[in-house]
Amino acid sequence: MTIQQPLDKGAAAADLQNSAAVAAPAATTSNGLPLPARKEPPPEKPSDVRRRSYIILSFWLIVLCLGLPIWWKTTTIYRADLPLQEMLDWADGKACRPVFPLRISIQANALQEQEAQNLLRLTQHALDDLNDFSGHHLRLQLAPPAASENRDHDHDSVLTIRLLPGETTTASFDPHAPVLDITYPPNTLPSPTSSSSSLATYVAGQLRSTFAEEQATISYLLSTNSIPSEHRPQGLSPDVADSLSKRTTRSLKYAPTYHLTFSLFTSGPLPSSWDIEDAIHQYMKPVLDVLSPIHNFTIDTQVQLYATPGVQNQVLNKEDLSSFINAAEWPLSPSIGGAPTINFVVFAGNQTIAVPPTQDSADSSGTAPAPHSWLIPQWGTVYLLSLPSDTAHLSSEALKQPLLTFTSHLLSLTGMPQSGSLPLRLSTLARIRSADLLLRASSTLGSLARLALALPSISIPSSVADGVSKTMAHLRLACETLGRPEGLAHARVAEAEAERAFFEKSMVGQLYFPDEHKIAVYLPLLGPVAVPLVMGLLNELKAWRKRRREAAEVAQGKKKE
Amino acid sequence: MDGTKVAPGRTAGLYAGAAVLRLAIFTLLPGLANLLTGRVEVSTPVTSFKRQGLFLYNRNVSPYDGGVYHQAPLFLPLFSLLPSFSSFPIFTYLLYIVVDLLSASALWRIADSGEAGSSALFTSPRREKRWSGFGIAALFLFNPFTVATCIGRSTSVFTTCAILHAIAKAVSGAPFGAMVALSFASYLSMYPLLLLPPLILLCYDRQCPERAINSGFRFAATCVATVAGVLAVLFQLSYFITGSWEFLPSTYGVQLTLSDLTPNVGLWWYFFIEMFDSFRSFFLAVFWLHLSSYVGGLTLRIRRQPLVVLTLLLGIFAIFKPYPSISDTSLFLAMVPLYRHVFPLMRYTFVIAAVILYAAFLGPAFYHLWIYAGSGNANFFYAITLVWGLGQSLLVCDLMFAVLRDEWEVERPEMVGKEIRQI
Repeated sequence: MTIQQPLDKGAAAADLQNSAAVAAPAATTSNGLPLPARKEPPPEKPSDVRRRSYIILSFWLIVLCLGLPIWWKTTTIYRADLPLQEMLDWADGKACRPVFPLRISIQANALQEQEAQNLLRLTQHALDDLNDFSGHHLRLQLAPPAASENRDHDHDSVLTIRLLPGETTTASFDPHAPVLDITYPPNTLPSPTSSSSSLATYVAGQLRSTFAEEQATISYLLSTNSIPSEHRPQGLSPDVADSLSKRTTRSLKYAPTYHLTFSLFTSGPLPSSWDIEDAIHQYMKPVLDVLSPIHNFTIDTQVQLYATPGVQNQVLNKEDLSSFINAAEWPLSPSIGGAPTINFVVFAGNQTIAVPPTQDSADSSGTAPAPHSWLIPQWGTVYLLSLPSDTAHLSSEALKQPLLTFTSHLLSLTGMPQSGSLPLRLSTLARIRSADLLLRASSTLGSLARLALALPSISIPSSVADGVSKTMAHLRLACETLGRPEGLAHARVAEAEAERAFFEKSMVGQLYFPDEHKIAVYLPLLGPVAVPLVMGLLNELKAWRKRRREAAEVAQGKKKE
Repeated sequence: MDGTKVAPGRTAGLYAGAAVLRLAIFTLLPGLANLLTGRVEVSTPVTSFKRQGLFLYNRNVSPYDGGVYHQAPLFLPLFSLLPSFSSFPIFTYLLYIVVDLLSASALWRIADSGEAGSSALFTSPRREKRWSGFGIAALFLFNPFTVATCIGRSTSVFTTCAILHAIAKAVSGAPFGAMVALSFASYLSMYPLLLLPPLILLCYDRQCPERAINSGFRFAATCVATVAGVLAVLFQLSYFITGSWEFLPSTYGVQLTLSDLTPNVGLWWYFFIEMFDSFRSFFLAVFWLHLSSYVGGLTLRIRRQPLVVLTLLLGIFAIFKPYPSISDTSLFLAMVPLYRHVFPLMRYTFVIAAVILYAAFLGPAFYHLWIYAGSGNANFFYAITLVWGLGQSLLVCDLMFAVLRDEWEVERPEMVGKEIRQI
C-alpha cells in the first residue's frame, strides 16, 4: 500500500497533464484563431444552466405530482368484490335445493282422533309410495278440531281435505277456497290394525292427480335449468315434457305488471262504440282481482274503424291466422312503459275461421267447438265478432263471449295450470312462478360471475356488487320460504335485482377493451408530449453527471496541489 | 409617433370614434349584432349573451336549472339592473362599449409605462422603437376581432377588461389593485387564475420603493392571500344571490369537465366528442395540466420580463383553453403590439398574418358548409380551427423567439444582426 501510493499519484498527474494538453488546443482555436467554418459557442453561464434545470424540473414536477396520481385515479378499473364462487353455486343449484313442502290438512270432524290419525298415516304412506320426486313433497296433517268451526281454510296449508261421511266415495272441489270435499261410506274406514285402506288409497290418488300438473311443471322447469342431476326428477315422459314446453313458450315471461290493451277493429264504419269498461268490470275484473297477488294489470282500450286485416279471405285457414294481424297499420304498440303488453283484439267483420277437419282443440285455442278466436303465443288473442251490419254500439252483453274467451286466454298466457279449482290453480301458479324466478335469478347470477371471470378488464361498479348481495339475500329468503306467498315476493325482488346488476350500463359499454387499444389511445397525444420532456430530462442528467465528474477532477487536482 | 404625450383631443377622438363605430353597428345593423351573438366563433357556452339565465333569475328560479347558463352569478344582478334589453337595448350596448373603452384605457396605461421595453431586471437596447399608447389602444379598439366580440355581446369582454386592468395596476405599482382585478377575472372565467405567478412577479418588480416588501416570499404570500380573500368574498356574494352553491359545478365545473360540447374555435370539443368514455376524465386532466404546465416554465425562463410571460400565456390560453373564442385572440393581439421593438427579430410575420387571415375567412365559411349547407362535415370546421390554432401558436413561438433573442443579444453584443441557429 505505502509503496504503491506515489505511483498512483504520478499516474494521476500524467493524466491531468494529458487532459490539459487536450484542452489547450481547443481553447486556442476558439479564442485565438478565428475559424470561418465553425465556431464553438462560449460556455454557458452557471446561472443559465441552473435556470434550465429549474424549468425542466417545473415540467416534471407537474407530470409527477399531478399527472401520475390523476392518471392512476382516472384509469384504474374499479372492480368491486363479487362473491363469485357463491354466485356460481347458485347457478349450479348447489346453494339451494328447491323443495316445496306442501302441507295439506285433513278435517275429519266425524272421525275419532285415533281413527283420523290412522287414516292420515296410511294416506301418507300411500302418497310416499306414489311420489317419485323428492322436491315436491306433500305432507298431511290433521286439522285441529277447533279450526273446523271456522269454515275458512288454514293459511299455512295449501289444501284442506274435508272428510264427510256419505253414501259413496266422491271428491269435489270447493269453487271458492282450496278445499277438497271427499265423502266416504263408513265401511271404507281403515281398522286400527290394517295396513292398507281403500279410502286412504283413494285420497292419495286424488291428491296426486291434483298436484300432478304442478309437479310436472316444476320438474320441467328444473330440468331445463342447470340443476345437477341428483336433484332432477327422472320420470318425465316425453309427451308431458312436450306439452309443457309448448305451454311455456305460449305464456309470457313473468313480469310484476302486465299491460292489457283492448282493441276494437271494425271493417266498416260501424260499430263505433262499445261498453268495454262495463264489460271488463263485469267479466274480467274478478279474475284480475284473483290474480292481483301475483300480477298487477294496467288497461287501455281503443277503437279503430275501417281497419283492414292482413288477410282478406272470407274463410280463414289455419295458416292465415298468423298473418291476420295487420302489424303495419294497426296501432298495437309493443310495450308501454316497460310492462309487457297483452293484446286483446275484437275484430268486427264477417270473416270466419275454417273448422279443421279433425278437432284438435287442445292444440290451438282450446275453446268453443265453433271457433271465433285464436291465441297468439306471448302476444294475445284475436276474437272475430260477426254482427248485423247496422250495429252501431256494442253493449256489454254482446261483449260477454269475447271477454270470457279473453279471460281464459289471459290465464293461459300468464301460465296458469289448467286443472283444479281456481284457488288451487292460483296458488300453484304462485309456486311455479317463484320457482321460475328463483331459477332465472340464479342463472343470471351465474352469467354475471362467468362474465366477471372471463373479462378481467371489465369494471364492476359498486352498484353491481350491491345488487348481487341483495339478490343473494333475497334468493336465500326465497329458498327458505319456497311454496309460501312471501317466497314469490322474495324471488321477484331477487330476479329484478339480478337483472339490474347484469345489465348495468357502465359495464356493458366496456365489454371488450383489449390492452393494445390503450396504446392507440395514449400514444397519439402523450407520445409527442413525452418526447421533449424525456429528452430534456436525459440531457439534463447527462450534463449534470459530466459536471459532477469535472468537479470531482478539479477537486482532485486541487488536493494534489 | 413619439409616444408619451398625446393631446387630450386625440384621446377623446379615439374613444369617441370607437364608441360611434360600435353604436352605429348596433343601431344601423341590428341583424349583424344578432348574427354575431349566435356565432360559435364569438360566443361559447361560457360566454354567450343569449344563454343568460336572466329570465329565470328575475322570476326567482335558479338560473342554473336546465343546464344552459354557465356563467358567474354576479352577472345576473348587473344585467337585471339595466333596463330590459327588449325595450331599451341601448343601455346594454352602452355597457359593452364602456367596458371596451375601459379595456383600451388600461392597455394605454400599460403601453405608456414602457414595461415592455425595460423591466426592472432587463432593458432592451431596442426599446426606443415603439408605438405609443394611443396607437396600441387604437389597434385594440379597431381590431375586427374586438369589435365583433363587443357587437356579439360576449361576456368575455368583462374578463378581458379585468385582466388588462390587473396588468395595468401591476405596472403602475399597485399590487393590491392588480390582485383584486385578477380575482375578478378569475371569478368570471377561472382560467386567469393561472396568470397569478407572473403577475405577482410583475407586481414585485414594479413596487413603489417607499412601500416595498423586500422578501419575495412574503410578497407572494400576501398576494395569494389577497386573491383568496377577494375570491372568497365573491363566492359568498354569489351564494347570497343564488341561494345555493350549485353555481360552482355549473360554472367552473363545466369548464373543468367540458360537459357542453358545442363546437368552438378551440381544440377540445372535437377531441372529446371522439373520446372513449372511460378515458375522458384522464384526458380532461391531461389537457388542463398541459394548459397549466406552461406557467411554471415560462415564468422561470423569462423571469426578467414578466409582462412577456403574461402576453405569451394569454396567447397560449387563447389556443388551448376549453372554450376559446376570438375574444381571447383579440386580447392576445392587443398585447402583442407592445413588443413593437422586437418585431424586426421575428421570422415568420408574413406566414403568421396569412395563416390567421386564412383561418378567419375560411372558418365561418366551413362552419356554414357543415351546419347549414350540409355539404361538409365536422372535420371541415375542425380542420380550420386547427389552422387557426397553428397560426396563433406560430405567433406565440415567434414572439418568444424574438424576445429571447433580444435578451441574448444583450449578453452577446457581437452577435447582433448575425444569422443564428436554434439548438
